[in-house]
Amino acid sequence: MHQQRIIYDDTTVRRFIIASVLFGIVGMAVGALAASQLAWWQANLGIPYTTYSRLRPLHTNAVIFAFVGNMMFAGIYYSTQRLLKTRMASDLLSKIHFWGWQLIIVAAAISLPLGFTTSKEYAELEWPIDVAIAVIWVVFAINFFWTLAKRHEKNLYVAIWFYIATIVTVAVLHIVNSLALPLSGMKSYSVFAGVQDALVQWWYGHNAVAFFLTTPILGIMYYFLPKAAERPVYSYRLSIIHFWALVFIYIWAGPHHLLYTALPDWAQSLGMIFSVMLWAPSWGGMLNGLLTLKGAWYKLREDPVLKFLIAGVTFYGMATFEGPLLSIKSVSALGHYTDWIVGHVHSGALGWNGFMAAGMFYWLVPRLYGTKLHSPKAADAHFWLGTVGILLYMVSMWISGVTQGLMWRAANPDGTLLYPNFVETLLAIRPMYIVRFVGGSMYLVGFIMMAWNLWKTARAGKAVDGETTVVVEPPAPTPVAEPVPAKAPTPGWVQVVTGRPLVFAIAILTVTMFLGWAKPVRAVVLMGAIIALGEFAWIVTRRDREAGRPSWFGLIEGKPLAFTVLTLIAILIGGVAELLPTIMLKQAVPAHGQAQEPYSPLELQGRDLYVREGCYTCHSQMIRPFVAETQRYGDVSRAEEFIYDHPFQWGSKRTGPDLHRLGGKYPNLWHYTHMMDPRATSPGSNMPPYPWLAEQRIVVKDAPKKFALMQRLGVPYSNADVDGAEARQKAQAEGITADLAAQGVQVAWDSEMVAIIAYLQRLGRGPQDLPASPEKSPAPPNRLPAATIASEEGR
Amino acid sequence: MSSEKPLLHSVYDGIEEHDNHLPNWWLFILWTSIIFSAGYWFWYHIAEAGPGQLGEYVAESAEVAKRASGNAPASDGMLLALAKDPASLESGKQVFQANCAACHGAQGQGSIGPNLTDAYWMHGGGPMAIHKVVADGVVAKGMPAWERTLGAERVKAVTAYLLTLKGTNAPGGKEPQGEPEQP
Repeated sequence: MHQQRIIYDDTTVRRFIIASVLFGIVGMAVGALAASQLAWWQANLGIPYTTYSRLRPLHTNAVIFAFVGNMMFAGIYYSTQRLLKTRMASDLLSKIHFWGWQLIIVAAAISLPLGFTTSKEYAELEWPIDVAIAVIWVVFAINFFWTLAKRHEKNLYVAIWFYIATIVTVAVLHIVNSLALPLSGMKSYSVFAGVQDALVQWWYGHNAVAFFLTTPILGIMYYFLPKAAERPVYSYRLSIIHFWALVFIYIWAGPHHLLYTALPDWAQSLGMIFSVMLWAPSWGGMLNGLLTLKGAWYKLREDPVLKFLIAGVTFYGMATFEGPLLSIKSVSALGHYTDWIVGHVHSGALGWNGFMAAGMFYWLVPRLYGTKLHSPKAADAHFWLGTVGILLYMVSMWISGVTQGLMWRAANPDGTLLYPNFVETLLAIRPMYIVRFVGGSMYLVGFIMMAWNLWKTARAGKAVDGETTVVVEPPAPTPVAEPVPAKAPTPGWVQVVTGRPLVFAIAILTVTMFLGWAKPVRAVVLMGAIIALGEFAWIVTRRDREAGRPSWFGLIEGKPLAFTVLTLIAILIGGVAELLPTIMLKQAVPAHGQAQEPYSPLELQGRDLYVREGCYTCHSQMIRPFVAETQRYGDVSRAEEFIYDHPFQWGSKRTGPDLHRLGGKYPNLWHYTHMMDPRATSPGSNMPPYPWLAEQRIVVKDAPKKFALMQRLGVPYSNADVDGAEARQKAQAEGITADLAAQGVQVAWDSEMVAIIAYLQRLGRGPQDLPASPEKSPAPPNRLPAATIASEEGR
Repeated sequence: MSSEKPLLHSVYDGIEEHDNHLPNWWLFILWTSIIFSAGYWFWYHIAEAGPGQLGEYVAESAEVAKRASGNAPASDGMLLALAKDPASLESGKQVFQANCAACHGAQGQGSIGPNLTDAYWMHGGGPMAIHKVVADGVVAKGMPAWERTLGAERVKAVTAYLLTLKGTNAPGGKEPQGEPEQP
């Protein structure tokens, strides 16, 4: 038996903090620029790289993965070592993790403005970067679990549970959603199409919020809040319930991003009800944060750290109430595609993530540099500036979102649209865009003050690494809460598997599963069985506790492997239950969709430009089944219309109108004029101009390659189609250039403008909408230009 | 405040934990949301007692169609009468400026779309001929069908307004397209 001195690796923590603050400023500054572009279109600066539709993905990726990501790693590296009383397992892996992550961020910051994007929200990075993310994440996971194996603390504290959930779930989400076939070094196509792609994307997208922006920060809250408040955590049993409920339920909630779309009703309903059921588990986290301060509220007045942490937890509570509310179908009908959603995510991002980060940094940096915070006053000013900024942001986006949502559906007494012109609804909310820009900028200024404050603090002290001593050698008599079955007669894994909470959970889940197929009478019986099982479980648990039997939860907290496997199972259930039937559906859909014709080569090229420019950031391609939408945009969108869409382009926001039935609505000249100067055709629009499309050329030779790749993804192109792709591409393009030339506009046939017009003219048009071609042309896909030319001649 | 539970024995890096009971109001939210969800699933997906989203849409469409059925159908006489009604012309002008001017010019002189102030018409210059083009569009030429979006009344008003533009030969007009109108 001897004492061992352990020096923690705090260098890595300091590095992650510096990176987080630095990229936080960059990400938020890009956000402020993007916000200004919505209010003043001139702020797009007229070049591709600073245009809103390319900056928006840069902003979201920078804030999520660079700012919060680095902050999360700093918090995890700091707290994990201390909670396990051991140094991180490998300094080398820590280094690879840190530098690898920063390289990924730099690659993202370069590739996104250049237009390399998959167009899948919060997963826009192209495949080589996706591979790098997966590798670095695995490095992080190895380092973390290896550290768990080396721990000098028998049981795992609740913060560690949340870190485990984060690591396994993000890995699963990232890998499944990024599955794609590469066309070239920086271009790939999702293996999923249409409805499937939409569901996979929002299963990912929503759980990026859940497991990247929420669970790790909850873990951080469980460490830093009681530390800063010097108070015990409010309730251990609440932490058990809200942890398991959160990881199990969160994963189901993705389809609430797709309410009233072409996604099957049952999947939408699952998304909605699981979001509603998330309300209490989310608030469990908030309660454990807030009530930890019970009896110490006075500390809020003097300590900026607690101010930030408590305000952060409060914003978390607001956002997690608003989330379930927005997931109710009728609320989503109003709020979806509007700024309400933007306000909602920012109350989470700025309020929860941003303030938790600030609280953690203000607490950590003085300790990491062995000194005091340079200016608590400045931290206070940061707090108020940030809070007012968030409130301005949220309130302006509520007003803007509800206003626009109501204007879109407002009807005259005879049932026609009160505001038929989309731009009217945009002009109505412009003042709110200015308020939002002001609020966001205030928040940014506060954040920069923090950076200055932390810098001064670090300069005043010098880097110190924390340390502790542990007693090793004979089986450590570490103080452990629950009696641990170290020499129990039954092996550990048997105890885990036969634990009553697990047995009951599996029993209840199994019964619930059959509810999906049940008829009313049988369903009532099943629901009765579920209630009886739940009741029984409750009685047994109570009796066990009174008898003082060892807790199963205490047991698995001492077994990281079992804990990880159970977490993985908990998150897989929801994913499999929703994704599998929808992916199976893939075989069924084409039967309905036989009338669908795959894109022509030129349309496919144009589609890639639509993706590159990020049109989906402002335009949806999904007309919901409301009269107000079909009056404004055209017929309701149907699932079978998207079966060849790799990736889907449904979008999630309508800063501009829906485009799904745009095809054939306007002449080619209208599109040309609109792309060159959107305000020439739509006065009052805030869309950026895209004049470079007329200058730049498509890669003509890519057409057959793209066809061949689509063939491998299951799009029914014949080999002859692939061989004839270039010729077809040219024929269709020349039809469009001839039409434009007849009206005095000269563009090259292989210009990007022609390709994107071809795609836009195709949108939402099955062959059924097209007039029968009088002559049998050798190139059938010449649909629209042929029709146009025919009518030109018929003048 | 009253039922503060004793601390657990385990201490992690100085962090202690209480084992307080879950607040009743929190349990109430938890159970209510679960019961609501079970009921929702039962109602819509097991008993199938509520309409799906397309069912809702069909009902809504029928309701709107009923409301619009009060509108009188357009006719040559009605449109000519509206063309003499200042209130209708004012509304028609507003509709034109908001929706048509972008392609046909503020005076109707034409730019992306044809000149509406000359004597030439591609699809006929009679009141009902113009009404048909505005209402149903000409898909092959990129003229959108406006009745769906604007509604029947606004289409009538803007058609009446167009009748007053006819023959004004606005300056800077686009070259004629189509056939001269037969008087």
